[in-house]
Amino acid sequence: MTTSNPTLAIPGQLLGSTSRYQPGPGTHIHNHNVHASLMGTVHIAQPAKAPGPVKRLTKITPAPAPAELPTISVTVPTRSAGSDPAGQKKREVLPEVGNVVLCRVIRITPRQAVVAILVCGDTVLDAEWQGLIRVQDVRATEKDRVKIYESFRPGDIVRAEVISLGDQANYYLSTARNELGVILATSEAGNAMHPVSWKEYRDPETGLTELRKVAKPY
Amino acid sequence: MTTTERPLVLPGDPISPDLIPSSTSKPLRLGPGLRHVPPSDIVPVVAGQLITNHQKNSMWVEYNNNRYIPTPGDLIIAQILRSGPDLYFTSISPYTPPATLPHLSFESATKKTRPQLAPGALVYARVVLANKHMDPEIECVSQSTGKSDGLGELKGGMVFDVSLQFARRLLMAKSKEEGKVEVLELLGGEGLVFEIAVGRNGKVWVGGEDVKAIVVVGRALRETDEGGLGVEAQRKLVRRLAKGMK
Repeated sequence: MTTSNPTLAIPGQLLGSTSRYQPGPGTHIHNHNVHASLMGTVHIAQPAKAPGPVKRLTKITPAPAPAELPTISVTVPTRSAGSDPAGQKKREVLPEVGNVVLCRVIRITPRQAVVAILVCGDTVLDAEWQGLIRVQDVRATEKDRVKIYESFRPGDIVRAEVISLGDQANYYLSTARNELGVILATSEAGNAMHPVSWKEYRDPETGLTELRKVAKPY
Repeated sequence: MTTTERPLVLPGDPISPDLIPSSTSKPLRLGPGLRHVPPSDIVPVVAGQLITNHQKNSMWVEYNNNRYIPTPGDLIIAQILRSGPDLYFTSISPYTPPATLPHLSFESATKKTRPQLAPGALVYARVVLANKHMDPEIECVSQSTGKSDGLGELKGGMVFDVSLQFARRLLMAKSKEEGKVEVLELLGGEGLVFEIAVGRNGKVWVGGEDVKAIVVVGRALRETDEGGLGVEAQRKLVRRLAKGMK
């Protein structure tokens, strides 16, 4: 390696070429170069299997496969004393495709429900991300006959699954499984309701039932 | 319908228990203007007359206001504002979000044979969905039977604004006895030829061939409504207007 690896990096700093390093957490690729995204220390993780010389029939040797390149990453050192340099501060968790998230319904329209994603997996998120549950993703069966007003109401807490990272404004979520749907609902009278079936919640004080897409309790 | 006294109530007034119809077989039904506060309080939320119906075991407050609140099942007159993908945006009351009317929600409408309504056109429709969280939705065909039952576009004619209570009186089944509205029959008796559509949102559409007849009917309706005319006064009004026409 001809260039010396910097030990401290600031955002935007060039770390190396993508032909030599594979980007890890805290880095990004720009113009076939790996740049740092965070301000912190640079760590290089060697790959599991070091690329050794292989007997080949021809003299043309292919470029090392990505799995054989060392991974370069930038980590922000934690403030607490006695932390190891490779220790990572709890990084911001972002919802990924397939994660089960908890969200609150903000607004409903005939075609979709707009929700704010609050919890991803077990972590409470610092910032609320906006998500959409489209009317065809509410249920698995009879998708064309779904009525949003009978599935969600503003203020409900819903367990949903991320199906797409979507566009700049919204994640796309789905509740099309038995264990997904509304887990906490408040009635028109203002009381917390108990689930009665897969589509009804009941207010214990007034006795009235309201329609929701109910999540199956564990 | 047997009705007893009709006391005037104000919001929050206590209702004496002897006014509440108590039939053991049917549950008590509360109509507009009343709210049930559990466990056993019934409180009026508007000012008006408390009406009780012992046969149907129901009670409600009859009040007059000029702001129409859509309720599912109501027949209304809506005006098309613009056309969107798959639906029309219509106005059923001013300064409120538009109600949506699907393109295919007309009798025997398919994508190729649907009625093309221009902005400004009037339709007689039924409210399908109305709640505080979403914009209202209306339809021009009955969902279950697929027939229009008189709903659809209103061609020609003119629309007059009336108060909500007058529209309700016009829409009563026995508008002559209960609603004390005879003016339309009287005008028909004078020989005017017209047709009427009454919307619960305070709009009456009058159509027909003769423009003079339409204008006379509109004036009669407006004067009955604004003057609060009784049956006798309505007869005098109709005679005066008919004389003015000739």
